[in-house]
Amino acid sequence: MTEFVSKIDKEKRKQAAELLRSHYIKLIEQVKREEPPVLEIPKRTLTNTIYDKERKLLLLGPEKLRRNFLDLNEAKKFMQTVLMASIIYEALVNDEYPTIRDLYYRGKHTLILREPSGKSYEENTWDEQDESDDVIVDIEVYTKLLREEMLILSKEKGKVVGDMRIRSGNDVIDLSKMGHGAYAIEPTPDFIEFLDYNAEFVLVIEKDAVFQQLHRIGFWKQYKAILITSSGQPDRATRRFVRRLNEELKLPVYILTDADPYGWYIYSVFRIGSIQLSHESERLATPDAKFLGVSMTDIFGDRSKKPYLTEQERKNFIIKAKDVDIKRALELKSYEWFKTKAWEKEVSMFLEKKSKLEIEAMASKGLKFLAFNYIPEKIKNNDYIA
Amino acid sequence: MSSQEKYATISPAEFFKRNPELAGFSNPSRALYQTVRELVENALDATDVHGILPSLKTEIALVDEVRQIYRVSVEDNGIGIPPHVIPNAFARVLYSSKYVLRQSRGMYGLGVKAAVLYSQMYQERPLEVVSSPKGSKRLYMFKLKIDVVKNEPIILERRSVENPTGWHGTIVTIHLVGDWIRSKSKILEYIKRTYIITPYAEIVFKDPEGNVYYFERLTNKIPKPPKEVKPHPYGVDIEQIKYMIHQTDGKPMKLKEFLIKEFQHVGEATAEEILNKSGLRAGLEISKLTDADIARLVEALKKLEKLKPPSPEALSVIGEDLIELGLRKSFNPEFVAAVTRKPKAYQGHPFIVEVGIAYGGAITPQPEPVVLRYANKIPLIYDEGSDVMYKVVVKEIDWKRYGIEGDQYPLVVMIHLCSTKVPYKSAGKESVSDVEEIEREIKNAVQEVARKLERYISEKKKEMEAKMKLITYLKYIPEVSQSLATFIANKRDMQSDVYKELKAALTNLVLKRLNLNDVEKLQLDAYKVEEL
Repeated sequence: MTEFVSKIDKEKRKQAAELLRSHYIKLIEQVKREEPPVLEIPKRTLTNTIYDKERKLLLLGPEKLRRNFLDLNEAKKFMQTVLMASIIYEALVNDEYPTIRDLYYRGKHTLILREPSGKSYEENTWDEQDESDDVIVDIEVYTKLLREEMLILSKEKGKVVGDMRIRSGNDVIDLSKMGHGAYAIEPTPDFIEFLDYNAEFVLVIEKDAVFQQLHRIGFWKQYKAILITSSGQPDRATRRFVRRLNEELKLPVYILTDADPYGWYIYSVFRIGSIQLSHESERLATPDAKFLGVSMTDIFGDRSKKPYLTEQERKNFIIKAKDVDIKRALELKSYEWFKTKAWEKEVSMFLEKKSKLEIEAMASKGLKFLAFNYIPEKIKNNDYIA
Repeated sequence: MSSQEKYATISPAEFFKRNPELAGFSNPSRALYQTVRELVENALDATDVHGILPSLKTEIALVDEVRQIYRVSVEDNGIGIPPHVIPNAFARVLYSSKYVLRQSRGMYGLGVKAAVLYSQMYQERPLEVVSSPKGSKRLYMFKLKIDVVKNEPIILERRSVENPTGWHGTIVTIHLVGDWIRSKSKILEYIKRTYIITPYAEIVFKDPEGNVYYFERLTNKIPKPPKEVKPHPYGVDIEQIKYMIHQTDGKPMKLKEFLIKEFQHVGEATAEEILNKSGLRAGLEISKLTDADIARLVEALKKLEKLKPPSPEALSVIGEDLIELGLRKSFNPEFVAAVTRKPKAYQGHPFIVEVGIAYGGAITPQPEPVVLRYANKIPLIYDEGSDVMYKVVVKEIDWKRYGIEGDQYPLVVMIHLCSTKVPYKSAGKESVSDVEEIEREIKNAVQEVARKLERYISEKKKEMEAKMKLITYLKYIPEVSQSLATFIANKRDMQSDVYKELKAALTNLVLKRLNLNDVEKLQLDAYKVEEL
């Protein structure tokens, strides 16, 4: 089967298998030396999450947990972790591409211990996928291998179009020749090779529908943009792809979301990383990403800026903020990386007006307004929050 | 008030005939139960008290279905009854061999006669007694009724035949109107509970449905029989002193001599003290004592100070080992414990409390602990709610404090109160009153065994925890070994050397961690891990 598999997959697979193996061979050696086997894993807790102001990244701190098999409270987690590692390793050496769901099923079985009396004790290796997903993350943190590097696939969520050529697997893809469709960003964006491009910035849009509208109206052609959608909360592949465009091609990244705390958090995940996955921020986050909008001042204006919406439009398009939105806003306010002047202004304006707005509202005012007026003007005027 | 009112004395027999409920004969079902009880208790008193291992044959048969007349028959292998005593013993109310101070099952001299009275109230068949005293060469047979008005036996038939086999014992047969359906569960319960406290007895019981129950003898050990003792000064009343004087059969005796001879712990000095306190003369002839004198005497007896407590020699306990044996055999529990407390006294009567506890195993958990109440080796079945033993076990003891978890109790608590005078609430002898000293002692005894149970439960819990630890590790070791071995063998292979090596090494690590002893290590091989 391997003759059709891309060269890069083969190489990456070999690297990952070796690295994974070297980490677990350590445990085997411990056991052979009659030492209790211990996994030393950086702690994935909020208290061990550090915001690196310099690099503008959320990173894992120095705290580590020692998962000792002989510690009764850790024994099961230990068993689950080595079980999962062995399944991933097997998949790697057998040229497979499991998903996290596959891994869940492969490892799930019942352990039965039968006492001399005949009484038996049963326990499942794991019951819910949460449990197996959790140890996958532990393995990523422990080996510093991301799941993508271990050829674990997931659903493709992000899409991209633009005047750019890339190599994916053994093929060259022209991202400007995707017709009405778009290129689905593969789960292993590190395996992509950037060939050539003719673009000046990257525009990331939260909403898939708005992405399609901008694509078909020719936005990226007119403004030399790489157009990307995350279809909501971004997956890891989209975040890594955006980061690579920014880091390797030095393209500025603008992010356009709804004007509400949920949209802000999407921006925050692109820029800083998420708390749950802070171990991967170093490679997934784009600290330079800019929040283009929709901002509160776009809606309401301020002393130095005219609003993009008229009184009548505001009346029609604004949605009243719900209690959960308010709660979320207050939560975001407490995060270190939202403690900038611009963000404090944005959040307090939201709390004051108790109003939110979807990007679609801007498109409703007119797609042309959005594509040829609102977006280019804001970029030109540096009217964004960084 | 009517001037027509008539005053008449009635005989004790008449009195009990008019008030059968006082002796526990309130209806046909209760009467059947009570009759079985009286006969079984007399049978046991004729055996173990005299050092004979009891063998009892009990039968209830339905002889007249229309009138619901039952025949109850109990045979024992006891000392038998001398023929001249038999008519009075069975057919004269308040005549008893038990008017001495020692613990026995019956007490009022009333039970079997109440059964006979009840028997002849609703049907015509007489009481039949067959007995052969130990060592007698003849068997004596009587058919008796009670002359209720005169409180005298009516002998309908008496015979005697040769006794070639040397058998001794008594067979009593009573016919009565009964109700087996309604009393069945209580009677069975009574017999089972009798067996629990008498594991040295062999009991055969045949019920009217034709079922035969056999309870085998579990031990040949008989509890030390009680001795007869003289009354303690604190424990007598006016009537008893009158009776004691009567018992001297009119032989002349001076008061001081009477006090020294007939009471416990009374010597020269104490006798003088009694005379001083009562103001009676030492040389007073006891037959001359007036009721007022006797009243003063009783007052003086109660005012004695620094008197030793009543002698427990009159009491016969079951003993911790027999209690544990009975509970173990009857309930098949995982844990039993028992305690026999030191003698105590209330109002001049000695008493001893024994408590046994059975926990877990085959005992079905119940919302309340099961309480087995016994007084002088008699199981008490009815009136549980008003009994002091039940009150202590169910209302006063917080079993959670002794390590019992959940709201169901797999627990049987047996309490045995021995006393020369059990403070029953009624002549039916089904529940014990809340006498403060007894209640306190029962509570102490229950708490003492409960602490043993607590130790057991906590030991077991520790063991369970240690075992669960071991089980947890043992369960995971093959999985961990196999997973790690995959990095060497490139596949999951339980035959690979590295798997075997890792498994052995991990097992060793766990054994070291858990500090298992050699026996436990040996057992390890018997644990099998499977995968599904």
